[in-house]
Amino acid sequence: MLSVVAGFALLAFSWWFAEIRPGVLFHPATAAAIWNFVSRLFPPDLSTEFLRTVLRAVTQTMATAIAGTLLSITVALPLGVLATGTLWNRGVLVAANDRFAYGVGWMASRLARTILGFLRAVPDLVWALLFVAAVGLGPLAGTLALSVSYSGVLGRVYADVFEHVDPRPLEALQSTGATRMQIFLRGVWPQAVPHLTAYTLYSFECCLRAAAVLGFVGAGGIGYEISVSMRLFEYGQVLTLLLVFILLLIVTDAASRYLRTRSISGATSERKIRSEGTSSLKLLTNKSRRLVAWIAVLFLMVASFALAGFVPETLTQAGVLSRSTGFVGRMLPLDLSWAFVNSLGTALLQTIAISLMGTVIGMALAVILAVPATSTLTFVRGDSPGKHGIADRALRWLLFWSARLVLNILRSIPELVWVLICILAVGIGPFAGTIALGLHTAGVLGKLYAETMEEVPLRPVEALRSLGAGPIQVLLWAIWPQARPLLSSYTVLRWETNLRASTILGLVGGGGLGQVIYNNVQLGFYPRLTTLILLIYALVLASDWIGERLRLHVS
Amino acid sequence: MIYSLNSVSKFFLQRREQVEALNAVTLQVCPGEQIALLGQSGAGKTTLFRLLNGTIRPTAGSLLFDGHDTASLTGIGLRAMRRRVGTIYQQHNLVPSLTALENTLSGALGRMSLLATLRGILQPAKADSELALHALELVGLADKRAARADELSGGQQQRLAAARVLMQSPDVILADEPTASLDPELAETMTSLLAGLARDSRKTLIMAVHKVDLATRYFPRVVGLRAGGLSFDVPQSEVRGDLLNSLYARDGKSPGDRDGDSLQYKFRCAR
Repeated sequence: MLSVVAGFALLAFSWWFAEIRPGVLFHPATAAAIWNFVSRLFPPDLSTEFLRTVLRAVTQTMATAIAGTLLSITVALPLGVLATGTLWNRGVLVAANDRFAYGVGWMASRLARTILGFLRAVPDLVWALLFVAAVGLGPLAGTLALSVSYSGVLGRVYADVFEHVDPRPLEALQSTGATRMQIFLRGVWPQAVPHLTAYTLYSFECCLRAAAVLGFVGAGGIGYEISVSMRLFEYGQVLTLLLVFILLLIVTDAASRYLRTRSISGATSERKIRSEGTSSLKLLTNKSRRLVAWIAVLFLMVASFALAGFVPETLTQAGVLSRSTGFVGRMLPLDLSWAFVNSLGTALLQTIAISLMGTVIGMALAVILAVPATSTLTFVRGDSPGKHGIADRALRWLLFWSARLVLNILRSIPELVWVLICILAVGIGPFAGTIALGLHTAGVLGKLYAETMEEVPLRPVEALRSLGAGPIQVLLWAIWPQARPLLSSYTVLRWETNLRASTILGLVGGGGLGQVIYNNVQLGFYPRLTTLILLIYALVLASDWIGERLRLHVS
Repeated sequence: MIYSLNSVSKFFLQRREQVEALNAVTLQVCPGEQIALLGQSGAGKTTLFRLLNGTIRPTAGSLLFDGHDTASLTGIGLRAMRRRVGTIYQQHNLVPSLTALENTLSGALGRMSLLATLRGILQPAKADSELALHALELVGLADKRAARADELSGGQQQRLAAARVLMQSPDVILADEPTASLDPELAETMTSLLAGLARDSRKTLIMAVHKVDLATRYFPRVVGLRAGGLSFDVPQSEVRGDLLNSLYARDGKSPGDRDGDSLQYKFRCAR
């Protein structure tokens, strides 16, 4: 009862602060604006001149993502090792009686964890804004932003992987008199490598998405071109850019899934690759083929760094280094004047409201779309009784695939692009940000919901079907009860992500703290930026804490 | 005639190979009959049950339920048929995160309208709750009504599955080796419970049994399945050692070359 009242109060609060005006959605002018946008999306701009621009933007985005991932790996590895508790302050490797070593180890790993947490908590777009201000417009700022932000993500994951390796081999190594370094290299590392590879590939995909978006604040690539074309009302170009972006995501997804299955299923797949290799490339020996692969990878890396702006001219031009250090100096001391801090209240509440309302809208849309997108609900078994005519089958097929398509479109288009589109319909402000967040969330959650419902054990489903229950009854009585804990924890996790996202929606006009950040960067009030970053950090810490408790509660 | 199977076959595709689960089974079942089904695992018992409760349809042959060809049933007609057939599954097939009472209540889904289903999520109809409690009492689980299904022991889950079928109150009860996971004493209790219920309320009961003595003691008619075919179909008094030997023999003859048709009786339904 109490939780229901609290829920409604939160909803009312969010409704008010996110400035939800459903009336606007049904206004004729809104429909006209949406129609104007949609009709001018077609035809996509495929002129050679524009395609050349697209190609340049795509290579820049790719290069930014690759260089950013590589840099973040080099930062994340040492920090991750340092943050691994089992290496320094607990478990079999730590002598309980050496209090001094214990204390130093504890402090070091705590410190490393805090640094990683901070790097992760500040959104990559905010890092990008800082680097754009520090080293100027262009992909260099984007790469640096990505490498800082993803160091935090990867470092945390690396530390978790190191901590969860099987401790028994480590104990065995220790009993042979191996040093801690040797134990790490010979015991921890070999066990961790497949998982590290898998997570790193996955984070590269995330990095690619992020790289495309960073352009919105002037860090080059696809995002930059999208924001320019939007501003010029060249919607045909926007469509081309979005399609290319989605294609890029699909290709990367397929490639990384291929590499991931190879890295996880170690020995067996290696044998398979070897046998495949002999058929395709008979002339080259195993060794020389590996050499060729390494040279190709090396070339790709060097090219990525070059395209991402790591060239002598950019680096020395006008003394990037001195400019950066000067910039850090200008950010301090942080602005804690009462007038400024007081003015942040509304923006902060607005951000929280956008995240809550956006998650609720996304949830509702996700449920509606996920039900037809669940194959076990929409399709009937081929050999089940009853005549399933062509029309019936075609209808089910159409329903399923259109739901999946809509979900994929909603998910593939980044939140910030949705904000730009929503602004066309409902104008600048938190309402646009909320709808945008809701649409993107619907895509993400809808896919997760459908997959979770598909993976539910099917025996109870068959039992209820066989006693005469209809599809909706099966959904409510067999699928929902089994899927509920996972669905709830996915939703809570998404809210945490959304809270972070709602701090930056304002950078392109979606309301909340992002608006304040944007204004202060434009005005060059950098000490205020420091305050804002710390505020976001506190907000993210708080949401982590609340989310963890909520997840324990729902599952 | 409640069931009339006319050379029913069922094939599955497994790794592009056709696997024959049932091969030309002909069987007539009268309303109110109690039949024990014997046979090794893999003989096709589960496939037969899934055909009988309308989960899958035959690859060849015809299966009539109460005079209707199941292959031609669709939508509402199919649901109406399924409502009249209750199944107790080998693995119980309960919803693990729902309570015993909720699992029992779900037996009534076939006769609930969509509106009643939605309302029932918040507050089940009083009549339904009473019926469900009564069913739980009959199987001796009334004190466990608030426990989640996955917190119950194997035997309790089994009885809960029986309660769900009681709640459904079907004309036919199919029980797919419900005693396989129970110790001998519980297995006997379960068998006598189901056989007694069926006898008293004149329901048809078809039960796969893995113990011959249970089959001959509680069931007037015994059917043997072997390698997807009918091995024998006799009254309980005629179940002899040689029949069972050929049923369970590892390298026995296939059901096709049985010696004579004397083992298949023509059962006639009493008027």
